[in-house]
Amino acid sequence: MLVNTQGQSLFSDLPDGLPVISVEGVSKKFCRDLKRSLFYGVQDIASDLTGGRHNSDRLRDGEFWALQSIDFSLYRGQALGLIGTNGAGKSTLLRIISGLIKPDVGRIRVRGRIAPLIALGAGFNPILTGRENIYANMSILGLSTARIKERFQDVVEFAEIKEAIDAPVQTYSSGMAARLGFACAIYTEPDILLIDEVLAVGDARFKAKCYRRLYELRQKGVAFILVNHNAQSILNICDAALYLSGGALIAHGEVNSVVDQYENDIFLDGTERSNNSLTFPAKAPEKSTGAEIRALFFRDAQEQPTQTLITGEPATLCLTCESNDHYTGVTFNIRVVKVGGEESAGNVLALRGENDDAFFEISPGLSELQLRLPYLGLEPGTYAAQIRLRKDSMYMFDVVEAFRFTIATANSDMSKCRFYQPRDWAVVSSPHPSSIVN
Amino acid sequence: MPPEIVHTPDSLLRRPRYLLWSMWRDLLASRELAWRLMVRDISAQYRQALLGVMWAFIPPIAMALGFTLARDANVFTVGETDIPYPAYVMFNTALWQTFTDAATGPVQAIIQAKPMLARVNFPREAIVLAKLGEVGFNFAIKLILIVALFLYFRVPVGWSVILAPVALVHLILLGVLVGVLLAPIGVLYQDVSKSLNMVMGFWLFLTPVIYPVPTEGAFGVLVAWNPVTPLLTTLRELATTGVVSNPLGFWVVSGATLVGLLLTWISFRIAIPYVVERVTS
Repeated sequence: MLVNTQGQSLFSDLPDGLPVISVEGVSKKFCRDLKRSLFYGVQDIASDLTGGRHNSDRLRDGEFWALQSIDFSLYRGQALGLIGTNGAGKSTLLRIISGLIKPDVGRIRVRGRIAPLIALGAGFNPILTGRENIYANMSILGLSTARIKERFQDVVEFAEIKEAIDAPVQTYSSGMAARLGFACAIYTEPDILLIDEVLAVGDARFKAKCYRRLYELRQKGVAFILVNHNAQSILNICDAALYLSGGALIAHGEVNSVVDQYENDIFLDGTERSNNSLTFPAKAPEKSTGAEIRALFFRDAQEQPTQTLITGEPATLCLTCESNDHYTGVTFNIRVVKVGGEESAGNVLALRGENDDAFFEISPGLSELQLRLPYLGLEPGTYAAQIRLRKDSMYMFDVVEAFRFTIATANSDMSKCRFYQPRDWAVVSSPHPSSIVN
Repeated sequence: MPPEIVHTPDSLLRRPRYLLWSMWRDLLASRELAWRLMVRDISAQYRQALLGVMWAFIPPIAMALGFTLARDANVFTVGETDIPYPAYVMFNTALWQTFTDAATGPVQAIIQAKPMLARVNFPREAIVLAKLGEVGFNFAIKLILIVALFLYFRVPVGWSVILAPVALVHLILLGVLVGVLLAPIGVLYQDVSKSLNMVMGFWLFLTPVIYPVPTEGAFGVLVAWNPVTPLLTTLRELATTGVVSNPLGFWVVSGATLVGLLLTWISFRIAIPYVVERVTS
C-alpha cells in the first residue's frame, strides 16, 4: 500500500488515515462489436432487474477485460498519475470511480465529493449566455444555487471572460469556452478531482494559472487523479503513479520509477537509462523515419562524457543520431521542465535549433549533434527534457518525450536565487574621462 | 467527512433499503438542478423561435380547424359531444398533447443529455423532472387557450373543475411512466425514438380525442381498454359537465399508474449505469 507521508503529516485530522478512494480488485469487461455490446447491455439490465448478475466475472463471446484486478488507494492531498497508452483503461477506471458505470468485479469506496474534470463544460448550451451556463454547469456538478452565487465572481475572474459574460457561449472562442468550463469545475471545491487530459486547454499563461490553482487545492488537502499521455506533466504534479497496460496494473508506486518503466516499455525495450544519459536500441528498418536518436548524454568542459552536472559550469548536450541516408538541414529542439516544483508549469528552458540557424548535414551512420552551453544556467534539481530531432523545421525524425537529468550542485551559492548569472567583477583604476558624466 | 459511497457489481435490488433511501435523496438533491435545466431548456427553446409561445397554441387550433371542417363537409360522422365540437377537439388535443409531451419528453431528454450522462454523475432524476416542468409550463400556456375557448363557446363550468388538476396530474404521470420506461432502451436503440412518433399516432387514433367514447364494436372495446381513455374523459368531464361517467376506470388506471411509476423509476435507476457503459462518451 502506498502512503504519502507528507500528506499524512499535513492532515493529521484524518480519521485513522482512511483513504479517500480505495479500489479493491476492480475489473471491467467491454465488447468491441457494437451490436453485441448493445445486446449485452440489455441482457445486463434484465439480469440486474431480476435480482442479480451471475457470472459477471466471466467473459461472454466477444468481450475482453478493459480493466483487470486493479487495486490502489488514494489519500487526502495525494496526487496520483495514471499513465498508459490509448485504450489501457485509464478513462474507464475514472468512470468507474466516479460511479458512472458499475464494476463487473471488485468494489470501490469513495469518501468525499468527486468533481470530474473529464467533462469540461458539460451541459453548456451554445445559445445561452456565459452567466446562464455557469449556473447550469455548476448545478450539474452538484452545487446549490446559493453556493454558485457565492462563487460566481471567482469563476468569472478565473476564466477571464468578464466582458463576454452576457454574450451567448456560441460567440466564444474555443479557448474561452474551455476556460469557462475549467473554472466552473475547479470552483466546485471538491475533495477529489479526476482530471482526464483536460489541461491542454488555453494558452500557456492560462495553463500555468490552472497548474497554480491545482497546487493550491492540493495544499488544502484535495486529492487528485490525473490522466495524461504526457509523462512530463505527470512528473510535474504527481507523487505517485499507476501504469496501466491492456487493462492490467503493471506498476504502482513512486512516480519516477513508474514513469521510467512506462517509458522503457513504450519507447521499445532495451532503452538504457543511467545517470544523466539515455541510450536507445536501433529501430527495425521498416519503423525508421530516416534518422533516429540513439543516445542522449552530456560532456564536460574537457569534452569528456560526464554524469555530473553543475550549475554554472560549461556543459554540452550531445545527441547521437543514426541516419540511413544523407540529409541536410538537420536540427533539434529541446524543451526543459522542472520536475515536481511548485512553479512546475511551463518550460524553464526552450531552445530551437532552427531559430539559431543551427542546421547540420549528416551522412549515413552515426553522428553526434551538440548543444554547447558555456554556462549551465539551471538551478540544482531534476529536470525532464523533451527533445525532437527535425529536418528543416518541418519534418520530425524522432522524439524523446522525457529525458531526465539531475543537476547535483552549483559552483556558487544558489540557495537564494533560481538563476545562474555568469559574471565578472572588476575595478578599473583609471577610467576613461568620457565615461564620467557631470 | 461525507458518508462513504461504495460501488459494487451487485444489484441494487439486494439492498432495497439503500435503494429507496438513495432514490429519495436524489429526488431531493435534483430539485434545484431540475429547475436550472428547465430554465435553461425553456429559455433556449424560445430564444431561437420567432413565434415563441405561439407554438403551444398552433397544433390544437390546426387540429380543431381541420376536423371541424371535415365533419361539416360530412367526410366522417361522429356522435354527439357534450360540448361544441370545435371546443371538444381543441380541449382534447391540448390534453392529448400534454400526455404525448410527457411520454416522449423523457426519451428525448435522456438521449440529448447523453454526453452529460457519460461524464458526470449527477442525479439522473433531474433530467426527467426538468422535462416534467417543461410539460407543465407548456400546459400552463395552453390553459390560456382553453380558457379563451371556454369563454367563446360558453362552455358551462361546474365546481368540479377544482378537482380537474388531480386528473391532469394522473394523466401526465401515465405519460411519464411510458417515457421513463422507454428512456434507457431509447438511448441504446434508435428504434425506440423512431417508432415513438408512429406509436403515438396510432395511440391517438385509439383515444377519444376527435370522437366521443364509442360504446359498440371491437373498436369500442379497444378504446375502453386504452388506459388514457378514462383519464382523459374524466379530466374533461370534471372540467365541464361535472358528471364522471367512469369513476372506477379512472381510479384503477390512476392506482396502476402510481405503482407502475415507482417500479419504472427503480428500473430506470438500475438500467442507467449499464446504458452509460454502452455509450462511451
